[in-house]
Amino acid sequence: MIQRKVLEIWVGVFVAAGLFALGTLAFRVGNLATAEVANGYRIEAQFENIGGLKVRSPVTLAGVRIGRVAAIGFDPATYQAVVSMNIDGRYNVIPVDTSASIYTSGLLGEQYVGLEPGGSEEYLKDQGKIQLTQSALVLEKLVGRLFTSFIEKPAADKPASDKK
Amino acid sequence: MRAFQYLGGAALDGVERLGRATLFLYEVVSGSWMLVRRFYLVIEQVYAVGVLTLVIILVSGGFVGLVLGLQGYNTLAKFGAADSLGLLVALSLVRELGPVVTALLFAGRAGSALTAEIGLMKATDQLAGMEMMAVNPVTRVIAPRFFAGIVSMPLLAALFSVVGVLSGHMIGVGLLGVDVGAFWSQMQNGVDFYDDILNGVIKSVVFGVVVTGIAVFEGYDAVPTSEGVSRATNRTVVYSSLAVLGLDFIMTALMF
Amino acid sequence: MTSSVSQAVFNDSTNLVEIRDVHFARGTRPILSDMTLTIPRGKVTVIMGGSGCGKTTVLNLIGGRLRPDRGQVMVDGLSVPDLNIKALYALRKRMGMLFQTGALLTDLSAFENVAFPLREHTRLPEALLRHVVLMKLETVGLRGARDLMPAELSGGMARRVALARAIVMEPMMIMYDEPFTGLDPISKGVIAKLIRELNDALGITSIVVSHDVADTLAISDYAYLLGGGRILAQGTPQALQQSTAADVRQFMQGLPDGPVPYTYPARAYIEDLFDGGSP
Repeated sequence: MIQRKVLEIWVGVFVAAGLFALGTLAFRVGNLATAEVANGYRIEAQFENIGGLKVRSPVTLAGVRIGRVAAIGFDPATYQAVVSMNIDGRYNVIPVDTSASIYTSGLLGEQYVGLEPGGSEEYLKDQGKIQLTQSALVLEKLVGRLFTSFIEKPAADKPASDKK
Repeated sequence: MRAFQYLGGAALDGVERLGRATLFLYEVVSGSWMLVRRFYLVIEQVYAVGVLTLVIILVSGGFVGLVLGLQGYNTLAKFGAADSLGLLVALSLVRELGPVVTALLFAGRAGSALTAEIGLMKATDQLAGMEMMAVNPVTRVIAPRFFAGIVSMPLLAALFSVVGVLSGHMIGVGLLGVDVGAFWSQMQNGVDFYDDILNGVIKSVVFGVVVTGIAVFEGYDAVPTSEGVSRATNRTVVYSSLAVLGLDFIMTALMF
Repeated sequence: MTSSVSQAVFNDSTNLVEIRDVHFARGTRPILSDMTLTIPRGKVTVIMGGSGCGKTTVLNLIGGRLRPDRGQVMVDGLSVPDLNIKALYALRKRMGMLFQTGALLTDLSAFENVAFPLREHTRLPEALLRHVVLMKLETVGLRGARDLMPAELSGGMARRVALARAIVMEPMMIMYDEPFTGLDPISKGVIAKLIRELNDALGITSIVVSHDVADTLAISDYAYLLGGGRILAQGTPQALQQSTAADVRQFMQGLPDGPVPYTYPARAYIEDLFDGGSP
C-alpha cells in the first residue's frame, strides 16, 4: 500500500495542477482578465443599427480597449438600439462630444464599438450619453447600394456597350 | 411474437435497472454527509481516480493538441487565416475535446477500475462483511469514490485542455511559423470565459457525475462472480462512453 | 407486542436466537419452509446440510440481510425484520460474522482490518486502539503478521485475522459461515480450537454453518441438520451420529446414494440412447 504521506502529496499536487490549469484557461486562454473592468462607469449611446454587436463586445478608443458593452436594449420612442458600455475607471477623460461607431475587426471578425474623441473640455461622467453615433455597416445594405449604383450609372452617364 | 416479447422484456429490464440506479445514487448522495467528517476517504480516492489517470490524460492531451495544430493549420492556411490557429485549437479543446475526450479516457481508465474494484469487493463478501460490521458500504465505499470522480473530472479536463493548447502552440508557432502574438491574441479575443470555458467546465462536471455514477452502480450491481464483474466492467465502459457522447450533444445544443 | 416482551424474558434465560415458522423463497423457489430453530446462549450450535440447502440463508436472516416472507426471527429479544436501519446496525455491532473467504478488506493491512470496526464505531485514542487490536491478533496467534496485506496471508491466516476482526467489538455472538472450507488439516484444527476457546473463554454464543461433519461435530454442543429447506434432524452430536434415519445417515457418513439420489432426474437411459440422436 502506498504511504499516506506520499498519497497526500500526490493528491495535493494533482489538485493544485488542476486548479492552475483552470486558472490558465480562464486568464491566459480565455478573456476573463480583459473582461474585468476596474471600477468602471457607464456611458450610453443610441444607434440606428448595431449589426452583430453583442454584450461584452469590446469598446476601443484609438484602437485601445477601454471597456466592454454591458447591455443592449431598445428604445421604443426612437426605434433605436441603446448600447450601454462599461468603461474602465482609468479612462475618465473622454470628451462629451465623442462619437461612437460600430466597426468590424477584419473582414469577418467580431464587431466592436470604436470611440473617436471630440475636442470638448467637458468629460463624460457616469450615465453620460454619446450623441454622435454611426451605425454598423450591414453587408447586405452595402451590396444593395453597390448594385443600384452599378445599374443606375450606366443608364444615366454612358451607353451600356462601353462596359467591358 | 418472440421479437415483441424480447423487446418488451429488454425494455422492462432497462427501466428496472434505471430505477435501481436512481435509488442507488440517491442513497449515495443522501449518505454522503459523513464524508464531511472523514474527508480523508475522498482524498484517498482522488488519488486512485484522479492521480492515476493523470498520465494518460496529459499524454493524450498533448497528442490531441499536436494533431489539432497540424490539421487546423493546413485548413486555415488555405483561407489565409493561419493566425487564427490559436483560437481554433483553444476553442475545440475547451468546448468539446477537453471534456469529451477526458471523459472517455476517464471511463476507460478510472471507471472500469472502479467497477472492477467494487465488483470484486462484492464478490469476495467485503461489502457484505461491512454490512455485518454495521458499516454501510454505500457511504463508506461508494460515496467517497463517487465524489472523488466528480472532483477529479473537471481538473483532468482542464489539464487536458491546457496541455493541448500548449502543444498546439508548440506545433503552430514552433514548427509551422504562426506568429506568437497572433496565436495568443486571437485566442484571447475569441475564447469567452462564460460562453466557452465555464460551459466546458460544466460539461466536465456533468460527465464526472455520469461516468462515476455508472461505474459505481455497475460495480455495486454486478453479479458477484468473476464473469459478472468482467461483464459489469465492460458495461461501464460502453454505457458511460455512450452517455458522454449523447449528453455532449444535448448540452452543446443547449449551451452554444 | 406483549408476546414479544414475554418472549424477551424467556429468551434472556436460554435462547439467544429464535427462528419461528420462517418461510423464505427466492422468486418462486422456496429456500426455507416453516423452519423453527433456536440457538442457545453461550453454546456452540452447528447448522449442517448439503450445498444450497439454506444454511447461509439462516445466517443472513439472523443478521438482518434478508427478510423472511413469513415467521419470526428474534435475536436477543428483538424481532430482526421489524428493526429500522439504526436499530439493526446497533444489533449488528453486537454480532460478529466470519465469512467463508474471510472478507478482509484488500486495501488494508491485517492490523488495519482488525482496527476497522473500532475506527468506524468508536473514537478510541490511537494508543488504546493499538492495544486492543494487538490483543485480538494475539488471541488468534497472528500478532506478528500485523503488517501483512490480505494478499500475503494464507487462507487459514486470513480467516484467523477475520476472526480477530469479528471479536474486536466484543460481540455477544459470532456466526461462522463455512469456516473450514478449503483449509488444510492444520488450519482446520486451529480454527476449530479457536471457535471452541472463544466460546468458552468469552462466553460468546457461536453459530457454525458447515457441511464438514467431522470437524464441526467435534466442537459443537448442539447440531441441526437441514435438507430441502427443512430440519431433518437435531440433537447433540452423539445423538445425530447414532441416528438411524436414512437421510441423516447418508449425510453423516457421506454415502453417495440414498434419499438424496446419485442420479439427476432423467427419463429412462435406454430411451435416451435410442432416440435417434435428437437432443
